[in-house]
Amino acid sequence: MLIGRRTVLRWAASLAGALRVSSVRVWAQAANFPADQADTLRALAAVVLPAELGAAGVDRTADAFVIWVRGYRAGAEMDHGYGVTRLRSKGASPAPNYLRHLEALREALLSGDMESKRQAVTAALEQAKITDLPRTPDGRHVAADLMAFYFRSSDANDLCYRAAIGRDLCRGLDGSERAPAPLKGRA
Amino acid sequence: MQRYESDVCIVGGGITAAMLALKLSELQPQLSITVVEAGKRLFDAENRMAYRQRSIDYAENAWPGDFIEDQAAQGVISRTMAVGGSALHWGGTCNRFSEEDLRLKSMFGLYADWPLAWNELEKFYCEAERRLGVSGEPSPFAEDQRSEPYPMAAMAMTHNLIELKKWAEQSGIPFQTTPQAKNTEPYDGRAKCIRCNTCTVCPTGARYSPDYTFRRLLQRKNFALHDQTLVRKLVLDDAKSTVAAAQAVNYQKPDEPVEYRAPVFALASGYCWSPHLLLLSRSPRFPNGLANSSGLVGRYMCGHAFQSAMIEIDAKIYPGMNEQHGLISRQFFRVKDREHFVRHDLRVWESAAGHEPRLRGADGRILLGDSLLADWRQRALRGTARVRGYYDVHPDRDSSLTLDASAKNRFGDPLPKIEHRLDAATQARRDVTREHFQQLFQKLAQAGNGKVLNTGAGNYLDHPAGGCRMGADPAASVCDSFGQTHDHENLFVAGSPTLPNAGCTNGTLTFVALTLRAAERVAERFRKG
Repeated sequence: MLIGRRTVLRWAASLAGALRVSSVRVWAQAANFPADQADTLRALAAVVLPAELGAAGVDRTADAFVIWVRGYRAGAEMDHGYGVTRLRSKGASPAPNYLRHLEALREALLSGDMESKRQAVTAALEQAKITDLPRTPDGRHVAADLMAFYFRSSDANDLCYRAAIGRDLCRGLDGSERAPAPLKGRA
Repeated sequence: MQRYESDVCIVGGGITAAMLALKLSELQPQLSITVVEAGKRLFDAENRMAYRQRSIDYAENAWPGDFIEDQAAQGVISRTMAVGGSALHWGGTCNRFSEEDLRLKSMFGLYADWPLAWNELEKFYCEAERRLGVSGEPSPFAEDQRSEPYPMAAMAMTHNLIELKKWAEQSGIPFQTTPQAKNTEPYDGRAKCIRCNTCTVCPTGARYSPDYTFRRLLQRKNFALHDQTLVRKLVLDDAKSTVAAAQAVNYQKPDEPVEYRAPVFALASGYCWSPHLLLLSRSPRFPNGLANSSGLVGRYMCGHAFQSAMIEIDAKIYPGMNEQHGLISRQFFRVKDREHFVRHDLRVWESAAGHEPRLRGADGRILLGDSLLADWRQRALRGTARVRGYYDVHPDRDSSLTLDASAKNRFGDPLPKIEHRLDAATQARRDVTREHFQQLFQKLAQAGNGKVLNTGAGNYLDHPAGGCRMGADPAASVCDSFGQTHDHENLFVAGSPTLPNAGCTNGTLTFVALTLRAAERVAERFRKG
């Protein structure tokens, strides 16, 4: 069967419209992240981040993650590597995926005890087939990405070693021959 | 057609071009010099801190726009194409080769000798170190004697490096800190290093990169930098074998061809694009391309191979203190004879490998929050040393860069394809070399109660060079030791392509030293009138 020119044009117009609507929606979801899931995100942070951060520290990390999501630039160039080199760019904003993940976890995270929350997050990660912490958040699951966001950070490195290493800071050369100072206020 | 004339036209805008132009402008201030570079100028140093942060936070390219999508080569190790070249994002490592690299034939009966005496090269190493601003400490080996001290004191060892040196030297192998083009004090108008741990994008200028030289050169009235302009072909004078012009195209105005005319042309486009341009410049008079009567343009492409190990050690290492600064031993630069020929450097850096946070514990169960942190802390009790040896391998004649008819850029020019091949003697040493490194890694580990976590061999040749090798015999080389091509007296090739072999440690300092020496020869032509 031959498809008429008008039909093709109508399809093309509706597809273009759908794409425009879709990209506007993604943009809006990223800009407003986490929308009405702010409490779910904070509850998730309390499960996947270390208690040593304290409640305020956990909330601050969740807030920093929100800023990170909003600052994500879809399509931005990535490093093209050395040795084996290829041009790559950042994928679509992870915000829509995150909102879906948070919605799916909402009930479990906003009710029940800590153990049941952990079980819910663990089950979600298993279902998403997440095998390790991503090098940088990649949108496959909000729980893994929130953990990667924190545990791969300079602050987490300090917390692990209980020392003010400041890996990602510009710290000057003076005094670097000494072991980093113990973290203030932490064991 | 837009036509530009100057005394010297330099094709390519990386570290070689920067050094050549700078020295020429000092030796012959009246010379007009034009540098033509295909990539963009990324001179927005004021944004580098922000780019660095985006790179840390989002893994974005810290040098946005530093490539040309359709100007790619198969077999290259970096896609960077911008004013400053690969040295925009280099680590700043400034190791010297050793005399053995220049005398392989006469000392070991292997491969080839350079048409250049070690003492002559050493003089230009000193100059290269001054110009780049290298901080370093003397080698413990008498054979590494220097005629001048480093221009700057070595970067202080961090706590981690002090621990790693203690550990590594228990094996009886002496180490020193790696010399680097990084300022340990304000130098040449650039700031002192503030240890940002991201040397590939240095936000302060403490690590040398050629954009600083170009910005200085641009203050001179007889210097021009034409970026985003791809030289596609060199053409000869009708009656002579001298180069008359470089034909180019500007990416912003692709419909208006550009031509550069000069009494001297210098190719400074690195190991890939210099031989590529010579091959592209074929004509009925020179069907195999320019400077290619020997048939060796795009041959003897070289680099060094490497073996690596991660070794867990009994030391308190705090990953992230200064990951790009490391240790080097030059003990294995010297070998007894051909039968024991496994020449290499030996490098040690701090590392977090094996001790990074992980989602699943040893039993495969998912770890969250406190349990993840506890697992991480437990594994981080011991330190990790990242160990690597770059070893000397020699290219076969068929180690080649060729024109790939199946891959073309937007202008229809065939792109380069690099295929490295090692000579028969190198291949015969393969098993002995591998065994040597396995034993060496075990020796290092055992000396300090360490454990080899893993070992690996590189799957490419690092710090590549060659393609227009220098030599005294025009039948066996493309250019002389000054880079002057045997076939065209006004055409020079500078830097990495001229190396017959790539030694067993980082090559940039050698590329620069050879370039500074070439600059004197080019300047001399103008003194003679």
